[in-house]
Amino acid sequence: MSLALDDINAIPNVRRIENFPKDDMNAFAMDLTHAVYPHDEIYGKYCSLEEYVDCPPEDVFRYLADVDTLAEWTYSLRDAEPAADGVVFTDKIGGKTKCFTKVVAHEASMTVDYHCAWDQGEHLWMIYLMRVIPAQLVLNKPGSVVLWTNCHHPFYDRNPRPELAPADRKVWVGDLWPFFYAGHHVEMQNLKHILEHRHAHELPIVPAKVAR
Amino acid sequence: MKPISLVGTAAYLPETVVDNAFFGGDNRATSGMFKGSRARRHVAPGESAASMIERATATLRARLGGDELREVDLVLTNVSCPDQPFTGCGASASRLLGVKPKRVIDLHNTGCVSFVFMLELARDLMHAGVVKNALLCCVQNAAGRVFAHEENRARPQSAVPGDGCGVGYVVANDSAPVRGIVSHAYGDYADDMRMACDDPSPWYAPRKHPLYIDFTEDRIAKIVARGNRLVPEVVLEACRAAEVKPSELDVLVTNQPNAVFLRNWREALQLPKEKHVESYEDYGNLFGAGIPINLAKAADEGRLPRGARVALGGFSHAGDYAAGAIWQPG
Repeated sequence: MSLALDDINAIPNVRRIENFPKDDMNAFAMDLTHAVYPHDEIYGKYCSLEEYVDCPPEDVFRYLADVDTLAEWTYSLRDAEPAADGVVFTDKIGGKTKCFTKVVAHEASMTVDYHCAWDQGEHLWMIYLMRVIPAQLVLNKPGSVVLWTNCHHPFYDRNPRPELAPADRKVWVGDLWPFFYAGHHVEMQNLKHILEHRHAHELPIVPAKVAR
Repeated sequence: MKPISLVGTAAYLPETVVDNAFFGGDNRATSGMFKGSRARRHVAPGESAASMIERATATLRARLGGDELREVDLVLTNVSCPDQPFTGCGASASRLLGVKPKRVIDLHNTGCVSFVFMLELARDLMHAGVVKNALLCCVQNAAGRVFAHEENRARPQSAVPGDGCGVGYVVANDSAPVRGIVSHAYGDYADDMRMACDDPSPWYAPRKHPLYIDFTEDRIAKIVARGNRLVPEVVLEACRAAEVKPSELDVLVTNQPNAVFLRNWREALQLPKEKHVESYEDYGNLFGAGIPINLAKAADEGRLPRGARVALGGFSHAGDYAAGAIWQPG
Protein backbone atom coordinates (compact mmCIF):
# COMPACT_ATOMS: atom_id res chain seq x y z
CA MET A 1 0.00 0.00 0.00
CA SER A 2 1.41 3.40 -0.94
CA LEU A 3 1.89 6.10 1.65
CA ALA A 4 -1.02 8.17 0.29
CA LEU A 5 -3.42 5.25 0.41
CA ASP A 6 -2.32 4.65 3.97
CA ASP A 7 -3.22 8.18 5.04
CA ILE A 8 -6.78 8.44 6.29
CA ASN A 9 -6.51 12.23 6.22
CA ALA A 10 -6.11 12.03 2.44
CA ILE A 11 -9.38 10.15 1.97
CA PRO A 12 -11.97 12.46 0.38
CA ASN A 13 -14.68 13.63 2.79
CA VAL A 14 -12.75 12.55 5.86
CA ARG A 15 -12.59 15.59 8.11
CA ARG A 16 -10.40 15.38 11.17
CA ILE A 17 -8.73 18.10 13.16
CA GLU A 18 -5.46 17.12 11.46
CA ASN A 19 -6.73 17.97 7.95
CA PHE A 20 -9.71 20.23 8.70
CA PRO A 21 -8.93 23.12 11.07
CA LYS A 22 -11.38 24.25 13.71
CA ASP A 23 -12.36 27.41 11.82
CA ASP A 24 -13.25 25.32 8.78
CA MET A 25 -15.12 22.90 11.02
CA ASN A 26 -17.09 25.77 12.55
CA ALA A 27 -17.96 27.12 9.11
CA PHE A 28 -18.99 23.66 7.93
CA ALA A 29 -21.07 23.13 11.06
CA MET A 30 -22.81 26.46 10.54
CA ASP A 31 -23.58 25.62 6.94
CA LEU A 32 -25.03 22.27 7.99
CA THR A 33 -27.15 23.80 10.75
CA HIS A 34 -30.50 24.99 9.40
CA ALA A 35 -33.46 26.41 11.28
CA VAL A 36 -35.80 23.84 9.73
CA TYR A 37 -35.35 20.69 7.65
CA PRO A 38 -37.59 19.25 4.95
CA HIS A 39 -39.40 16.12 6.13
CA ASP A 40 -37.88 14.01 3.36
CA GLU A 41 -34.34 15.05 4.31
CA ILE A 42 -34.87 13.82 7.85
CA TYR A 43 -37.08 10.79 7.23
CA GLY A 44 -36.52 9.94 3.56
CA LYS A 45 -33.71 7.38 3.76
CA TYR A 46 -34.07 6.32 7.37
CA CYS A 47 -36.90 6.69 9.81
CA SER A 48 -35.47 7.05 13.29
CA LEU A 49 -37.31 8.03 16.41
CA GLU A 50 -36.72 7.86 20.11
CA GLU A 51 -38.72 8.18 23.30
CA TYR A 52 -38.37 8.12 27.04
CA VAL A 53 -40.43 5.45 28.82
CA ASP A 54 -40.93 5.55 32.57
CA CYS A 55 -40.48 1.80 33.03
CA PRO A 56 -37.34 -0.17 33.98
CA PRO A 57 -35.17 -1.09 30.98
CA GLU A 58 -35.20 -4.81 31.81
CA ASP A 59 -39.00 -4.79 31.65
CA VAL A 60 -39.07 -2.78 28.42
CA PHE A 61 -36.61 -5.20 26.85
CA ARG A 62 -38.55 -8.25 28.04
CA TYR A 63 -41.77 -6.78 26.66
CA LEU A 64 -40.30 -5.96 23.25
CA ALA A 65 -38.47 -9.31 23.02
CA ASP A 66 -41.82 -11.11 23.29
CA VAL A 67 -43.03 -10.96 19.70
CA ASP A 68 -46.67 -11.43 20.75
CA THR A 69 -46.71 -7.97 22.35
CA LEU A 70 -46.66 -6.46 18.85
CA ALA A 71 -50.39 -7.17 18.87
CA GLU A 72 -50.67 -4.64 21.70
CA TRP A 73 -48.52 -1.64 20.86
CA THR A 74 -48.52 -1.64 17.05
CA TYR A 75 -51.35 0.10 15.24
CA SER A 76 -52.45 -2.81 13.07
CA LEU A 77 -50.58 -6.12 13.66
CA ARG A 78 -53.14 -8.57 15.08
CA ASP A 79 -54.16 -12.23 15.27
CA ALA A 80 -50.72 -13.83 15.53
CA GLU A 81 -50.39 -17.44 14.42
CA PRO A 82 -47.29 -19.64 14.75
CA ALA A 83 -45.14 -19.80 11.63
CA ALA A 84 -42.10 -21.85 10.73
CA ASP A 85 -39.64 -19.18 11.81
CA GLY A 86 -41.57 -16.96 14.22
CA VAL A 87 -45.16 -15.79 13.89
CA VAL A 88 -47.43 -14.51 11.20
CA PHE A 89 -49.69 -11.57 11.99
CA THR A 90 -52.50 -10.08 10.03
CA ASP A 91 -51.57 -6.48 9.26
CA LYS A 92 -55.02 -4.96 9.25
CA ILE A 93 -53.77 -1.85 7.52
CA GLY A 94 -53.60 -4.11 4.46
CA GLY A 95 -56.92 -5.91 5.02
CA LYS A 96 -56.10 -9.62 5.22
CA THR A 97 -52.41 -9.08 4.52
CA LYS A 98 -50.11 -11.53 6.24
CA CYS A 99 -47.11 -10.05 8.01
CA PHE A 100 -44.41 -12.65 8.68
CA THR A 101 -42.36 -11.71 11.72
CA LYS A 102 -39.27 -13.01 13.46
CA VAL A 103 -37.74 -11.39 16.52
CA VAL A 104 -33.97 -11.26 17.03
CA ALA A 105 -33.19 -10.04 20.54
CA HIS A 106 -29.91 -9.72 22.42
CA GLU A 107 -30.31 -9.29 26.12
CA ALA A 108 -26.78 -8.07 26.88
CA SER A 109 -27.10 -5.10 24.52
CA MET A 110 -30.90 -4.87 24.89
CA THR A 111 -31.47 -4.78 21.15
CA VAL A 112 -34.68 -6.11 19.68
CA ASP A 113 -34.94 -6.40 15.90
CA TYR A 114 -38.15 -7.41 14.19
CA HIS A 115 -37.50 -8.99 10.79
CA CYS A 116 -40.74 -8.80 8.84
CA ALA A 117 -42.28 -8.94 5.39
CA TRP A 118 -45.75 -8.65 3.94
CA ASP A 119 -47.20 -11.60 2.04
CA GLN A 120 -44.25 -14.04 2.29
CA GLY A 121 -41.87 -15.42 4.91
CA GLU A 122 -38.83 -16.41 2.84
CA HIS A 123 -37.21 -12.97 2.71
CA LEU A 124 -37.87 -10.85 5.78
CA TRP A 125 -36.67 -7.47 4.50
CA MET A 126 -38.73 -4.99 6.57
CA ILE A 127 -36.51 -4.70 9.61
CA TYR A 128 -37.42 -2.67 12.68
CA LEU A 129 -34.27 -2.02 14.71
CA MET A 130 -34.88 -1.18 18.35
CA ARG A 131 -32.62 -0.60 21.30
CA VAL A 132 -33.43 -0.07 24.97
CA ILE A 133 -31.06 2.09 27.01
CA PRO A 134 -31.16 2.59 30.79
CA ALA A 135 -32.25 6.19 31.21
CA GLN A 136 -30.11 6.37 34.34
CA LEU A 137 -27.06 6.27 32.08
CA VAL A 138 -28.13 8.81 29.49
CA LEU A 139 -30.70 11.05 31.21
CA ASN A 140 -29.73 10.59 34.88
CA LYS A 141 -33.17 9.35 35.82
CA PRO A 142 -34.94 6.00 36.19
CA GLY A 143 -36.69 4.46 33.21
CA SER A 144 -35.69 3.71 29.64
CA VAL A 145 -34.86 5.39 26.39
CA VAL A 146 -36.09 3.49 23.34
CA LEU A 147 -34.45 4.03 19.94
CA TRP A 148 -36.16 2.77 16.79
CA THR A 149 -34.88 2.90 13.22
CA ASN A 150 -36.19 1.64 9.90
CA CYS A 151 -34.10 1.79 6.74
CA HIS A 152 -35.67 2.63 3.37
CA HIS A 153 -35.20 -0.77 1.71
CA PRO A 154 -35.74 -0.66 -2.08
CA PHE A 155 -38.64 -3.10 -1.74
CA TYR A 156 -40.61 -0.33 -0.04
CA ASP A 157 -40.63 1.36 -3.45
CA ARG A 158 -41.20 -1.83 -5.45
CA ASN A 159 -43.12 -4.83 -4.20
CA PRO A 160 -40.89 -7.80 -5.12
CA ARG A 161 -43.80 -10.27 -5.08
CA PRO A 162 -46.96 -8.44 -6.17
CA GLU A 163 -48.59 -11.74 -7.12
CA LEU A 164 -48.78 -12.74 -3.43
CA ALA A 165 -50.97 -9.80 -2.42
CA PRO A 166 -54.61 -10.46 -1.49
CA ALA A 167 -56.68 -9.84 -4.60
CA ASP A 168 -58.58 -6.86 -3.25
CA ARG A 169 -55.59 -5.03 -1.68
CA LYS A 170 -54.81 -1.65 -3.18
CA VAL A 171 -52.14 -0.47 -0.77
CA TRP A 172 -48.48 -1.51 -0.62
CA VAL A 173 -46.64 -1.04 2.66
CA GLY A 174 -43.99 1.12 0.98
CA ASP A 175 -46.59 3.55 -0.32
CA LEU A 176 -46.89 4.62 3.30
CA TRP A 177 -43.18 5.46 3.74
CA PRO A 178 -43.90 9.23 3.89
CA PHE A 179 -46.20 8.44 6.85
CA PHE A 180 -43.73 6.13 8.59
CA TYR A 181 -42.59 8.78 11.06
CA ALA A 182 -46.20 9.55 11.94
CA GLY A 183 -47.21 5.89 12.16
CA HIS A 184 -44.20 4.92 14.21
CA HIS A 185 -44.66 7.95 16.44
CA VAL A 186 -48.17 6.75 17.24
CA GLU A 187 -46.89 3.24 17.92
CA MET A 188 -44.03 4.52 20.07
CA GLN A 189 -46.57 6.49 22.10
CA ASN A 190 -48.67 3.33 22.43
CA LEU A 191 -45.59 1.48 23.69
CA LYS A 192 -44.75 4.26 26.14
CA HIS A 193 -48.23 4.61 27.55
CA ILE A 194 -48.96 0.90 27.85
CA LEU A 195 -45.67 0.26 29.67
CA GLU A 196 -45.91 3.34 31.89
CA HIS A 197 -49.48 2.40 32.83
CA ARG A 198 -48.50 -1.15 33.78
CA HIS A 199 -45.36 -0.06 35.62
CA ALA A 200 -47.18 2.68 37.57
CA HIS A 201 -49.97 0.29 38.60
CA GLU A 202 -47.64 -2.64 39.30
CA LEU A 203 -49.42 -4.77 36.71
CA PRO A 204 -47.61 -7.59 34.90
CA ILE A 205 -45.54 -5.93 32.16
CA VAL A 206 -45.96 -8.86 29.78
CA PRO A 207 -49.46 -10.35 30.14
CA ALA A 208 -49.59 -14.10 30.72
CA LYS A 209 -51.08 -14.46 27.30
CA VAL A 210 -51.32 -11.66 24.80
CA ALA A 211 -54.65 -11.99 23.04
CA ARG A 212 -54.09 -13.44 19.62
CA MET B 1 -55.47 51.78 17.40
CA LYS B 2 -54.68 54.67 15.09
CA PRO B 3 -52.41 53.64 12.25
CA ILE B 4 -48.87 54.86 11.72
CA SER B 5 -47.19 54.83 8.34
CA LEU B 6 -43.65 54.37 7.11
CA VAL B 7 -43.77 56.71 4.14
CA GLY B 8 -40.18 56.52 2.97
CA THR B 9 -36.70 55.14 3.52
CA ALA B 10 -33.29 56.09 2.18
CA ALA B 11 -29.74 54.88 2.46
CA TYR B 12 -26.30 56.38 2.59
CA LEU B 13 -23.32 54.14 1.98
CA PRO B 14 -19.77 55.45 2.47
CA GLU B 15 -17.74 55.69 -0.72
CA THR B 16 -14.87 53.46 0.35
CA VAL B 17 -15.44 49.94 -0.98
CA VAL B 18 -13.32 47.39 0.86
CA ASP B 19 -12.75 44.03 -0.79
CA ASN B 20 -11.69 40.81 0.87
CA ALA B 21 -7.99 41.35 0.13
CA PHE B 22 -7.99 44.14 2.74
CA PHE B 23 -8.24 41.54 5.49
CA GLY B 24 -5.06 39.73 4.45
CA GLY B 25 -4.61 36.92 2.00
CA ASP B 26 -4.16 34.20 4.55
CA ASN B 27 -6.82 35.07 7.04
CA ARG B 28 -9.99 33.05 7.22
CA ALA B 29 -12.25 36.03 6.95
CA THR B 30 -13.85 34.96 3.73
CA SER B 31 -13.96 31.22 4.19
CA GLY B 32 -14.77 30.59 7.82
CA MET B 33 -17.85 31.15 9.89
CA PHE B 34 -18.14 34.56 8.31
CA LYS B 35 -18.06 33.73 4.62
CA GLY B 36 -20.39 35.16 2.05
CA SER B 37 -19.59 38.84 1.80
CA ARG B 38 -17.78 39.93 -1.36
CA ALA B 39 -17.32 43.57 -0.34
CA ARG B 40 -18.39 46.09 2.25
CA ARG B 41 -18.10 49.85 2.83
CA HIS B 42 -15.99 51.54 5.47
CA VAL B 43 -16.57 55.02 6.85
CA ALA B 44 -13.89 57.59 6.07
CA PRO B 45 -11.57 58.67 8.90
CA GLY B 46 -13.30 61.48 10.77
CA GLU B 47 -16.69 60.83 9.15
CA SER B 48 -19.33 61.31 11.84
CA ALA B 49 -22.49 59.32 12.42
CA ALA B 50 -24.42 62.61 12.43
CA SER B 51 -23.13 63.45 8.97
CA MET B 52 -24.12 60.00 7.71
CA ILE B 53 -27.64 60.66 8.96
CA GLU B 54 -27.55 64.04 7.19
CA ARG B 55 -26.52 62.39 3.90
CA ALA B 56 -29.19 59.68 4.08
CA THR B 57 -31.88 62.19 5.09
CA ALA B 58 -30.97 64.46 2.16
CA THR B 59 -31.78 61.53 -0.15
CA LEU B 60 -35.02 60.88 1.72
CA ARG B 61 -36.06 64.52 1.49
CA ALA B 62 -35.42 64.49 -2.24
CA ARG B 63 -37.39 61.28 -2.58
CA LEU B 64 -40.38 62.55 -0.61
CA GLY B 65 -40.27 65.99 -2.24
CA GLY B 66 -42.13 69.08 -1.12
CA ASP B 67 -41.77 70.26 2.42
CA GLU B 68 -41.64 66.79 3.93
CA LEU B 69 -39.08 66.38 6.65
CA ARG B 70 -38.44 70.12 7.07
CA GLU B 71 -40.02 69.95 10.49
CA VAL B 72 -39.53 66.80 12.53
CA ASP B 73 -41.24 66.12 15.86
CA LEU B 74 -39.16 63.13 16.89
CA VAL B 75 -35.62 62.07 15.99
CA LEU B 76 -34.60 58.53 16.93
CA THR B 77 -31.08 57.23 16.44
CA ASN B 78 -29.12 54.06 16.96
CA VAL B 79 -25.39 54.23 16.26
CA SER B 80 -23.14 51.20 16.62
CA CYS B 81 -20.00 53.22 17.34
CA PRO B 82 -21.11 56.60 18.74
CA ASP B 83 -19.28 59.77 17.73
CA GLN B 84 -18.72 60.64 21.38
CA PRO B 85 -19.07 58.65 24.59
CA PHE B 86 -21.81 59.91 26.93
CA THR B 87 -23.69 62.04 24.38
CA GLY B 88 -25.83 60.55 21.68
CA CYS B 89 -25.69 61.97 18.16
CA GLY B 90 -29.40 62.76 17.68
CA ALA B 91 -29.05 66.36 18.76
CA SER B 92 -25.98 66.84 16.56
CA ALA B 93 -27.82 65.26 13.61
CA SER B 94 -30.80 67.59 14.22
CA ARG B 95 -28.50 70.59 13.98
CA LEU B 96 -27.04 69.34 10.70
CA LEU B 97 -30.57 68.69 9.38
CA GLY B 98 -31.79 72.13 10.46
CA VAL B 99 -34.73 70.70 12.41
CA LYS B 100 -35.87 71.43 15.95
CA PRO B 101 -37.55 68.23 17.15
CA LYS B 102 -39.72 68.10 20.27
CA ARG B 103 -38.01 64.89 21.26
CA VAL B 104 -34.66 63.31 20.50
CA ILE B 105 -34.04 59.76 21.69
CA ASP B 106 -30.72 58.04 21.11
CA LEU B 107 -31.27 54.31 21.53
CA HIS B 108 -28.20 52.64 22.92
CA ASN B 109 -29.69 49.16 22.71
CA THR B 110 -31.52 46.94 20.18
CA GLY B 111 -28.67 47.31 17.62
CA CYS B 112 -29.38 45.17 14.57
CA VAL B 113 -33.16 45.35 14.98
CA SER B 114 -33.33 48.94 16.27
CA PHE B 115 -35.35 50.08 13.25
CA VAL B 116 -38.32 47.95 14.32
CA PHE B 117 -37.98 49.06 17.93
CA MET B 118 -37.99 52.66 16.67
CA LEU B 119 -41.20 51.98 14.75
CA GLU B 120 -42.73 50.70 17.98
CA LEU B 121 -41.50 53.67 20.01
CA ALA B 122 -42.67 56.17 17.37
CA ARG B 123 -46.08 54.46 17.30
CA ASP B 124 -46.41 54.67 21.07
CA LEU B 125 -45.45 58.35 21.17
CA MET B 126 -47.85 59.08 18.31
CA HIS B 127 -50.65 57.24 20.08
CA ALA B 128 -49.85 59.24 23.22
CA GLY B 129 -50.28 62.39 21.16
CA VAL B 130 -46.72 63.54 21.82
CA VAL B 131 -45.52 63.64 18.19
CA LYS B 132 -47.04 63.52 14.71
CA ASN B 133 -44.00 62.39 12.77
CA ALA B 134 -40.63 60.78 13.36
CA LEU B 135 -37.27 60.41 11.64
CA LEU B 136 -35.71 57.01 12.34
CA CYS B 137 -31.93 56.90 11.89
CA CYS B 138 -29.79 53.75 12.05
CA VAL B 139 -26.05 54.09 11.66
CA GLN B 140 -23.51 51.30 11.44
CA ASN B 141 -19.98 52.65 11.51
CA ALA B 142 -18.09 50.05 13.49
CA ALA B 143 -16.59 48.43 10.39
CA GLY B 144 -14.31 51.33 9.52
CA ARG B 145 -13.84 52.53 13.07
CA VAL B 146 -13.18 49.23 14.84
CA PHE B 147 -12.75 46.28 12.50
CA ALA B 148 -10.47 48.05 10.02
CA HIS B 149 -7.79 48.61 12.65
CA GLU B 150 -4.64 46.90 11.51
CA GLU B 151 -4.54 44.74 14.64
CA ASN B 152 -8.14 43.66 14.12
CA ARG B 153 -8.16 43.06 10.37
CA ALA B 154 -6.91 39.51 10.51
CA ARG B 155 -9.60 38.45 12.96
CA PRO B 156 -12.12 36.24 11.14
CA GLN B 157 -15.07 38.39 12.24
CA SER B 158 -13.54 41.61 10.87
CA ALA B 159 -14.61 41.08 7.28
CA VAL B 160 -18.26 40.70 8.24
CA PRO B 161 -19.35 44.22 9.24
CA GLY B 162 -19.95 46.91 6.67
CA ASP B 163 -20.84 50.54 7.27
CA GLY B 164 -23.91 52.45 6.18
CA CYS B 165 -26.82 54.53 7.33
CA GLY B 166 -30.51 53.89 6.77
CA VAL B 167 -33.28 56.34 7.63
CA GLY B 168 -37.04 56.13 7.61
CA TYR B 169 -39.83 58.67 7.97
CA VAL B 170 -42.94 57.77 9.95
CA VAL B 171 -46.16 59.75 10.10
CA ALA B 172 -49.45 59.35 11.96
CA ASN B 173 -51.78 58.36 9.12
CA ASP B 174 -52.79 55.23 7.19
CA SER B 175 -51.06 55.87 3.87
CA ALA B 176 -48.44 53.10 4.33
CA PRO B 177 -49.40 51.32 7.52
CA VAL B 178 -47.07 49.45 9.83
CA ARG B 179 -49.05 46.84 11.74
CA GLY B 180 -48.45 44.01 14.15
CA ILE B 181 -45.26 45.40 15.67
CA VAL B 182 -43.92 42.94 18.22
CA SER B 183 -40.75 43.11 20.26
CA HIS B 184 -39.01 41.10 22.92
CA ALA B 185 -36.12 41.56 25.32
CA TYR B 186 -34.23 38.46 26.42
CA GLY B 187 -32.03 39.25 29.39
CA ASP B 188 -30.65 35.74 29.51
CA TYR B 189 -28.80 36.37 26.25
CA ALA B 190 -27.53 39.83 27.14
CA ASP B 191 -23.97 38.93 28.08
CA ASP B 192 -23.04 36.64 25.19
CA MET B 193 -21.59 39.45 23.04
CA ARG B 194 -18.85 41.55 24.56
CA MET B 195 -16.27 44.11 23.69
CA ALA B 196 -12.96 42.30 23.85
CA CYS B 197 -9.37 43.40 23.87
CA ASP B 198 -5.96 41.84 24.25
CA ASP B 199 -5.44 44.25 27.17
CA PRO B 200 -7.14 42.81 30.24
CA SER B 201 -8.49 46.19 31.40
CA PRO B 202 -12.12 47.28 30.89
CA TRP B 203 -13.01 48.92 27.59
CA TYR B 204 -12.92 52.46 28.96
CA ALA B 205 -9.42 52.14 30.43
CA PRO B 206 -6.30 53.35 28.59
CA ARG B 207 -4.93 50.60 26.38
CA LYS B 208 -2.28 49.56 23.90
CA HIS B 209 -4.47 47.30 21.75
CA PRO B 210 -7.74 48.03 19.95
CA LEU B 211 -11.16 46.84 21.05
CA TYR B 212 -13.17 44.40 18.98
CA ILE B 213 -16.46 42.57 19.29
CA ASP B 214 -16.23 38.97 20.33
CA PHE B 215 -18.72 36.16 20.38
CA THR B 216 -17.27 33.66 22.80
CA GLU B 217 -16.42 30.41 21.05
CA ASP B 218 -18.17 28.28 23.64
CA ARG B 219 -21.45 30.05 22.86
CA ILE B 220 -21.32 30.07 19.06
CA ALA B 221 -23.45 26.97 18.54
CA LYS B 222 -26.07 28.26 20.98
CA ILE B 223 -26.12 31.71 19.41
CA VAL B 224 -26.57 30.17 15.96
CA ALA B 225 -29.46 28.03 17.19
CA ARG B 226 -30.95 31.04 18.95
CA GLY B 227 -30.73 33.26 15.86
CA ASN B 228 -32.20 30.50 13.70
CA ARG B 229 -35.20 30.38 16.01
CA LEU B 230 -35.74 34.00 17.11
CA VAL B 231 -36.28 35.66 13.75
CA PRO B 232 -38.78 33.23 12.17
CA GLU B 233 -40.58 33.16 15.52
CA VAL B 234 -40.93 36.95 15.76
CA VAL B 235 -41.91 37.33 12.08
CA LEU B 236 -44.64 34.71 12.52
CA GLU B 237 -45.78 36.51 15.67
CA ALA B 238 -45.97 39.79 13.72
CA CYS B 239 -47.96 38.01 10.99
CA ARG B 240 -50.46 36.79 13.57
CA ALA B 241 -50.70 40.24 15.16
CA ALA B 242 -51.28 41.84 11.75
CA GLU B 243 -53.60 39.03 10.64
CA VAL B 244 -51.46 38.23 7.60
CA LYS B 245 -50.76 34.62 6.62
CA PRO B 246 -47.01 33.89 6.25
CA SER B 247 -47.76 32.47 2.79
CA GLU B 248 -49.17 35.88 1.81
CA LEU B 249 -45.89 37.72 2.45
CA ASP B 250 -44.51 39.46 -0.63
CA VAL B 251 -41.21 40.69 0.75
CA LEU B 252 -39.02 39.80 3.72
CA VAL B 253 -36.50 42.30 5.06
CA THR B 254 -34.26 41.33 7.95
CA ASN B 255 -30.97 42.28 9.47
CA GLN B 256 -28.13 40.42 7.81
CA PRO B 257 -25.57 38.92 10.20
CA ASN B 258 -24.32 36.38 7.68
CA ALA B 259 -25.45 34.38 4.66
CA VAL B 260 -26.36 31.29 6.67
CA PHE B 261 -28.85 33.11 8.89
CA LEU B 262 -30.44 34.66 5.80
CA ARG B 263 -30.85 31.23 4.22
CA ASN B 264 -32.20 29.69 7.39
CA TRP B 265 -34.77 32.41 8.01
CA ARG B 266 -36.11 32.12 4.46
CA GLU B 267 -36.32 28.35 4.78
CA ALA B 268 -38.07 28.54 8.14
CA LEU B 269 -40.63 31.01 6.76
CA GLN B 270 -40.91 28.99 3.53
CA LEU B 271 -40.17 32.04 1.42
CA PRO B 272 -38.13 31.86 -1.80
CA LYS B 273 -34.86 33.79 -2.13
CA GLU B 274 -36.51 36.24 -4.54
CA LYS B 275 -38.80 37.53 -1.79
CA HIS B 276 -35.95 38.22 0.62
CA VAL B 277 -34.41 41.62 -0.06
CA GLU B 278 -30.89 41.68 1.34
CA SER B 279 -27.49 43.03 0.42
CA TYR B 280 -25.07 40.94 2.42
CA GLU B 281 -22.80 40.12 -0.47
CA ASP B 282 -22.19 43.79 -1.34
CA TYR B 283 -22.43 45.48 2.05
CA GLY B 284 -21.78 42.80 4.70
CA ASN B 285 -23.43 42.97 8.10
CA LEU B 286 -24.96 46.44 8.30
CA PHE B 287 -26.08 45.97 11.90
CA GLY B 288 -29.06 48.25 12.61
CA ALA B 289 -28.76 50.02 9.28
CA GLY B 290 -29.48 46.76 7.46
CA ILE B 291 -33.28 46.86 7.63
CA PRO B 292 -33.78 50.47 6.42
CA ILE B 293 -31.01 50.16 3.81
CA ASN B 294 -32.62 47.00 2.45
CA LEU B 295 -36.03 48.69 2.47
CA ALA B 296 -34.55 51.55 0.43
CA LYS B 297 -32.98 48.99 -1.91
CA ALA B 298 -36.34 47.26 -2.33
CA ALA B 299 -37.97 50.60 -3.14
CA ASP B 300 -35.21 51.47 -5.64
CA GLU B 301 -35.67 48.11 -7.34
CA GLY B 302 -39.43 48.56 -7.62
CA ARG B 303 -40.14 45.64 -5.33
CA LEU B 304 -42.60 47.48 -3.05
CA PRO B 305 -45.85 47.87 -4.94
CA ARG B 306 -48.64 49.64 -3.08
CA GLY B 307 -50.22 47.30 -0.55
CA ALA B 308 -47.50 44.65 -0.74
CA ARG B 309 -47.10 42.73 2.50
CA VAL B 310 -43.59 43.33 3.75
CA ALA B 311 -42.35 41.49 6.82
CA LEU B 312 -39.62 43.14 8.88
CA GLY B 313 -37.72 41.11 11.42
CA GLY B 314 -34.44 40.61 13.15
CA PHE B 315 -32.50 40.08 16.34
CA SER B 316 -29.69 42.01 17.91
CA HIS B 317 -26.28 41.18 19.31
CA ALA B 318 -26.33 37.61 20.63
CA GLY B 319 -30.11 37.46 20.90
CA ASP B 320 -30.91 40.03 23.60
CA TYR B 321 -33.61 41.69 21.50
CA ALA B 322 -35.87 40.50 18.68
CA ALA B 323 -38.63 42.36 16.87
CA GLY B 324 -40.89 42.10 13.86
CA ALA B 325 -43.59 44.03 12.03
CA ILE B 326 -45.71 43.96 8.89
CA TRP B 327 -45.56 46.96 6.59
CA GLN B 328 -47.75 47.78 3.59
CA PRO B 329 -46.10 50.43 1.40
CA GLY B 330 -48.25 53.22 0.04
